[in-house]
Amino acid sequence: MILAGGQGSRLGVLTELVAKPAVPFGSRYRIIDFPLSNCTNSGIEAVGVLTQYQPLELNSYIGNGHSWDLDRNKGGTYILPPYLSQAGNEWYKGTANAIYQNIPFIDSYEPKYVLILSGDHVYKMDYLKMVEAHIEKKAEATIAVIEVPWEEASRFGIMNTDETGRVVEFEEKPANPKSNLASMGIYCFSWKVLRESLIKDEANPDSKNDFGGDVIPAMIADGHDVFTYAFDGYWKDVGTIASLWESNMDLLTDPTLINLRDTKWTIYSKNPHRPSHYFGPDSEVENTAITDGSEIFGECRGTIVSYNVVVESGAVVRDSILMPGSYVESGAVLTRCIVGMDTRIERDVRATPEEDGLTCFINNRLCQGGITVFAPNLIIKEGTRIAGNSMIGPEQAREYPQYVAEVPHYSRMEGRL
Amino acid sequence: MITDAMGLILADNRRIHLGALTEPRAIAAIPFAGRFRLIDFTLSNMVNSGIKRVGIVALTKYKSLMDHIGTGAPWDLDRMRQGLFLIPPYINPITREPDRTDAQSIIDYVKTGDQSYVIISSCDYITNTSYRPLLQAHIESQADMTILYHQEGPIEGAPSMAIELDEKGFVCDMMVDYPHPASQKNAIGLIIISRDLLLQLLMEMMARGVADFSIVGILQNYKRMRIYAVELQDPVLRIHSVASYFDASMRILGTDIRRMLFSAERPIYTKAKNRAPCIVWPGSGVVRNVLASDGCAIMGEVENSVLFRGCVIGRGARVTNSVLFQDVQISDGVILDHVIIDKNSVVRMDGRLLGHPGFPIVIEKNAIV
Repeated sequence: MILAGGQGSRLGVLTELVAKPAVPFGSRYRIIDFPLSNCTNSGIEAVGVLTQYQPLELNSYIGNGHSWDLDRNKGGTYILPPYLSQAGNEWYKGTANAIYQNIPFIDSYEPKYVLILSGDHVYKMDYLKMVEAHIEKKAEATIAVIEVPWEEASRFGIMNTDETGRVVEFEEKPANPKSNLASMGIYCFSWKVLRESLIKDEANPDSKNDFGGDVIPAMIADGHDVFTYAFDGYWKDVGTIASLWESNMDLLTDPTLINLRDTKWTIYSKNPHRPSHYFGPDSEVENTAITDGSEIFGECRGTIVSYNVVVESGAVVRDSILMPGSYVESGAVLTRCIVGMDTRIERDVRATPEEDGLTCFINNRLCQGGITVFAPNLIIKEGTRIAGNSMIGPEQAREYPQYVAEVPHYSRMEGRL
Repeated sequence: MITDAMGLILADNRRIHLGALTEPRAIAAIPFAGRFRLIDFTLSNMVNSGIKRVGIVALTKYKSLMDHIGTGAPWDLDRMRQGLFLIPPYINPITREPDRTDAQSIIDYVKTGDQSYVIISSCDYITNTSYRPLLQAHIESQADMTILYHQEGPIEGAPSMAIELDEKGFVCDMMVDYPHPASQKNAIGLIIISRDLLLQLLMEMMARGVADFSIVGILQNYKRMRIYAVELQDPVLRIHSVASYFDASMRILGTDIRRMLFSAERPIYTKAKNRAPCIVWPGSGVVRNVLASDGCAIMGEVENSVLFRGCVIGRGARVTNSVLFQDVQISDGVILDHVIIDKNSVVRMDGRLLGHPGFPIVIEKNAIV
């Protein structure tokens, strides 16, 4: 069960119209490609995707699951939005409530075990090994954990365990952490036990119906066998602009961190049906990832180029992420920028951290480290100079029409699949 | 947008040979433009024209073609009704030999379709066009058949079908493989014909013991049948030799023709491979005028070349004017110029292969140089 209904509000304008799992990542992918591919590679063939926030893009991207070999006769992918019933169901109130509302779906498969996954993590993980560890320890719940640096531990949900790996205490963002094992938000449950716990949680009026905050602590308190499963691979929760940018850059600085070329653990994605990408006669390309349908005539360094992107001759793009269908015109200079889907950067626009440009777009709450974010479906008008840490979206287009225009959504579809 | 026609693709052509490139595969399965095979163009044109039923006639070496086509899902041809039909040759049950005069499997395919027309196409030309206006022209002209031609004229030594037209646009003369024809009109391997007439021709063919069902064979009926010819306005690249294949590969590096061939309105579909994005490494050499594909890792220098999926170019290597098929590995320090290297081959450290523009070196599949 992949939880894909979150807004990802810290990604600001990038998730204004799409759910976080549908945000483009790493040139070819959307974030949800990672959990979906992990499922198919782990041999899990019945996958529910729980959607709630802005699901159109996500639903159309997943389709019938064909791209991940998840169009099966029995099982396959199911999009599970909240629904109405005579009992008067409502929106998913929390992660646990989302699963609670889908108890009949899970029951229909009569599974022994259920994996609860997050739709917005970038990682490669064999879930089967986690299920095996769960069985071996006779656990009722197994929580995947990863060691985080001690100084950062107070930002995570921390698991305190005894010597057998059994969880004795769960602390959400502790001020003085006793351990540096952080929960990854990936759980394996024995379905019978989880089913009971969810019903109990739903009946508790004080619960926020959240796995990390309510269900897991209650299971520990009730003396259930909750174990950790240590994961030591690459794992990133791309929840913020900074972490989204960093994890994209990780693909360039060290491609072995999350080896996308591993043919034994392919990360699948939807095929854009475009020609191979083209490097023009005067292009300067170095330290760059690129995929189908893109054309680079200018300069790209340290940049992640998605599909159907055009960088014109005389444009300079450095340390940036160009999302599907984006277009950079001649003379534009972008450094540390994230350009949303189908956004057009007109001639001589400059957006770099050093730039002595417009400060009206600065958004220090969401953007740090000089990273500037352009929403999808914008036109940044010719010659506009933008200071670092800016975030530009539809709101800014309405306020500053001299610098930014909004193109009607879905009028240009190069980035859509 | 259903068109009242079925497709019939001829995957091979006994008149065309591309040396080592066609040794392991049918012409239809020759890789092209980084991630496609020649059949993708015809197949996508048919699907984009609203055709829902396509038969593919295979003669020999069709394993790689079958791998590529699969269930037809990339072309939306995996359907409950209609869809994709692979038509391999029949083996005579008594002699256990392939029977080249046996067109029964093609007849069966055509008979079981309920469309009024058949669009027959070979795989030796590359274009992005809609067959709908052509079908319209066929119906309006009340011709027995309608064909496509372009004005480039025959190239010496290359297979050609030079046609002369009468004042109404019907074929009045045809010269096959003639080096100096008066006409510059060279027919492209595409025929529109009614289902019933095609069935009649196929049965006649079998009755006369004619081997090979081919475009030329059908067109040779021009004296007793009315064949209408329409000029193809879209750009077309013809593949009939290693030199023309190489030339076509170099021409799609041109942005105008590439954008026309791969228009977003009429996509060319192909099998997905799910490779990682291409990475141009830090400290790589110049990468210019290059069509590259997913899964490539470029550490060296590449110019005027086409790289298929999964090619690796080592440090200090210099690749110019070359076409490297899927998963070709070029080791450090290698120098290549005017070379076509087939799938999975490796050029070891400091190798040098220098071909000539009119005569590129061809390295076969799975070779180690």
